[in-house]
Amino acid sequence: MIEKGRISALQMATLLYPTIIATAILLVPAITGEYAKKDMWLSPIWASLAGLFVIFLAVKLEQRFPEQTIIQYSGTITGKLIGKLIGVLIVLYYFHATGIILLEYGNFVIGSFLPRTPLLIVIGSMVLVCGLAVRGGIEVMARTAQVLVPFVILFFTLIMILLTPELNLDNLFPVMEYGLKPSLKGAIIPASWFLQLFIIAFILPVLKKGEKIGKAGILTVITVMITLVITNLVTLLLFGVITTSFTYPVMEAARFISVADFLQHLESVVMAIWVAGTFIKVSLFYYVVVIGTAQVLHISDFRPIVLPIGLFLTVLSFWTSSSLQELEQILITSFPFYDFFVLIIIPMLLLVIAKVRKKGATKNRRNKGKVKK
Amino acid sequence: MKIRRPKPLVSKVKLKETLNPNQQEKENNEVHADNTVNANSSNKRKENGDIVSSDLSKNEEKIRSIYKNCSDVIYRTFYIGNKTKALLIYIEGLSNEQEIEESVLSPLMNERNMGTEIQSLMTKTVSAPNIKEVSTYIDCVNELSVGKTVIFVSQNSSAFSVSLTKWEKRAIEQPESESVVRGPREGFIEDITVNTSLLRRRIRSPKLKMVRYLVGKYSETSVVIAYVDGLASEDLIEEVKRRVKRIDIDGILDSGTVEEFIEDHPYSPFPQTLATERPDVVTANLLEGRVAILVEGSPFSLIAPITFYSLLQASEDYYGRFLIGTALRWLRYIFLVISLLLPSLYVAVLTFHQEMIPTSLVISIIGSREQVPFPAIVEVLIMEITFEALREAGLRLPKQVGSAVSIVGALVIGDAAVSAGIVSPPMVIVVAITGVASFTIPRYSAAIALRMLRFPIVILAGILGLLGVMLGIILIIVHLASLRSFGVPYLSPMAPMQANEMKDVLIRAPLWKLNKRPHFTGDYNEYRQAPNQKPNPSKGGDG
Repeated sequence: MIEKGRISALQMATLLYPTIIATAILLVPAITGEYAKKDMWLSPIWASLAGLFVIFLAVKLEQRFPEQTIIQYSGTITGKLIGKLIGVLIVLYYFHATGIILLEYGNFVIGSFLPRTPLLIVIGSMVLVCGLAVRGGIEVMARTAQVLVPFVILFFTLIMILLTPELNLDNLFPVMEYGLKPSLKGAIIPASWFLQLFIIAFILPVLKKGEKIGKAGILTVITVMITLVITNLVTLLLFGVITTSFTYPVMEAARFISVADFLQHLESVVMAIWVAGTFIKVSLFYYVVVIGTAQVLHISDFRPIVLPIGLFLTVLSFWTSSSLQELEQILITSFPFYDFFVLIIIPMLLLVIAKVRKKGATKNRRNKGKVKK
Repeated sequence: MKIRRPKPLVSKVKLKETLNPNQQEKENNEVHADNTVNANSSNKRKENGDIVSSDLSKNEEKIRSIYKNCSDVIYRTFYIGNKTKALLIYIEGLSNEQEIEESVLSPLMNERNMGTEIQSLMTKTVSAPNIKEVSTYIDCVNELSVGKTVIFVSQNSSAFSVSLTKWEKRAIEQPESESVVRGPREGFIEDITVNTSLLRRRIRSPKLKMVRYLVGKYSETSVVIAYVDGLASEDLIEEVKRRVKRIDIDGILDSGTVEEFIEDHPYSPFPQTLATERPDVVTANLLEGRVAILVEGSPFSLIAPITFYSLLQASEDYYGRFLIGTALRWLRYIFLVISLLLPSLYVAVLTFHQEMIPTSLVISIIGSREQVPFPAIVEVLIMEITFEALREAGLRLPKQVGSAVSIVGALVIGDAAVSAGIVSPPMVIVVAITGVASFTIPRYSAAIALRMLRFPIVILAGILGLLGVMLGIILIIVHLASLRSFGVPYLSPMAPMQANEMKDVLIRAPLWKLNKRPHFTGDYNEYRQAPNQKPNPSKGGDG
């Protein structure tokens, strides 16, 4: 194993929660609103099924190949050459995904708060901070998440509570005016966020022995779903169907907060808290990129390649698209299919092939191994 | 009570270990660390390794040659019972001269019954409580150097060491850096035997172990590792011993020297052991399964392992009412954040996020800043650095001058600078609150680390606004998350989360609820007290 640290299932959940939430909370309300209109708060519930499915896939594969990541066992399942190809494909996917997350982050910060700061500074500083966390390994990242996530949740709840006086229940009705179809349609794109939970395949190998993986996975999916439902509900109740006309509805919502004429214009605070979530998201993707690269190239220690990869990621984020509009177009049109192919089709094929070719440990053999240890 | 010391040895590295002198046990663990002893000391070892001769003048010559040019060594020739010539040697200022006269010199000189051999004569006539026979010159030198009196008797091939040590030491006073309103007022002093006795008086059980090492090539300083057997984990004790033994240095001046050689992350600004002057704090930590390191010549003892939160707890939290203790703890947490972030938040909000301030307030701030020629970040840096300089100046100067400096400083900063238009009044308020906030942190070493870290965050705030502040906070958290103190994660029990220990972090739970000891690594003794001790009227009374 390259990674020597071990984390608990709860720590894994604390890492995964902001990994999904960080960008979803910004973009999902507008995107779901586009298709689901007044039923947008239902969409995350359907979308969460995709999350459950990828976690199921990752756990099944992990049971066959304990303490291995997908890069390692894809070779065992399909043979050396194809396995290597799949490994490279997955690593490149995560490279690309990290670049896109960084660009989303940079564009958001510059568009909303620091209009005159160069994009390079905003992205570069984030990559540097994340790089230091990644160098510390999964344990350091998990502990940092455990400190930050409670604050993220606390502030999120606080903002939502402070918004309640502004909410208008009439915006909610009629529920399911056109049946289930609109909300299901609206679920397609949020599902690609839930598909990101497949990143669990890289964390499962570093879990402590005997942790309740399934429970933690389901807990993550449910908390993410609840958070998105609340976000969608609040933006819907606040703005009604015009939610779609904002790029970042939650930020717009934060502007509405005004308590005693003193607590107002909290969007900067929201941004600061949101940065904490993004930090965890970027670190985890960055970590997967680093671990994946190290495993594809058979490097024995991942620490020396962290900063070079960081430099590459910074540059890559500029290459992914030239403008925010283009980026959004990618995210809405081609990225769901891209995600679907890499995060569902490939693992599913791997699992089926492993079953057919009887590769890897079955449940009984795994238990035997456990007893030995 | 007889104090026994291990057989000493002069070599480049001297490490000896005995169990606590209060126990009549002895454990020798001498380490000859390396073969590259320099010529000087190997010569010394050879000549000093010699057995004491029966020729008195030869002995005297030997000791005089070892203690050449040492004017503080006193030689006194006398005759036992007016017949046998003898030589008494001690170091001035380390021995009790009056006692030497009363219990050694006069009984021996007035002895009339010279029939028996010299050993039994010594036992019979010398009334000092501790007398020991030593046979080599090394032993003699070691006995002398700790303040004992050595007697050579002619025609006798061994010397006698009499323990009549006495030297000047400070009285036990209230520790200045950790004073309390309620709680014990005793503090450690520079003398290690007094310090160990302060601990022994608090934990009488023989389970309290104190292992002594001599560290320092020239200073030969006693370093005592104290722990409670059965509470501290074996691995931890071994690790602390190993790290202390590893130190090879010419002299130990303070426990800070030891601290620098045994910590896990030398480049971190955060302290990884807790330095305290209070015996009650050490006792509490020993009972929670930690290890204390006491150093001769330093009133500060070190406690390991620690977590970040132990730096934010004052001993008084546990002596007052728990509700108050909880409130004070939260006050400290809030002011910790203020001391770290207030100046940078001021810079960030004023430079990048003016919309966050209510309109009327922003108008008055802008109005007061009208005359100020600098941007907010320069103003903050000027004032914060001046404040740190004033604090540092006030700390080093004698008390009388110190107050003069603070008056001048307060006048200059508070009034003149504002009316001259160099800084704005809100800025003065920010600096003042930050200064006060940093003094609420009970541990100086933690407070100073956070005070210094606020400067880089101010600069980040000046560059990236609130985003910069957030990145700074994340960097600090990442750093704290990667720290370990003797294998214990620095941020535990928060990260990694240990839910049942959080009640001593988020709140100060009542003592009858704290049934379990904190768990660090490895095996531990889980329960510290019986459960269900919550007092209520039906349990007490005269029944």
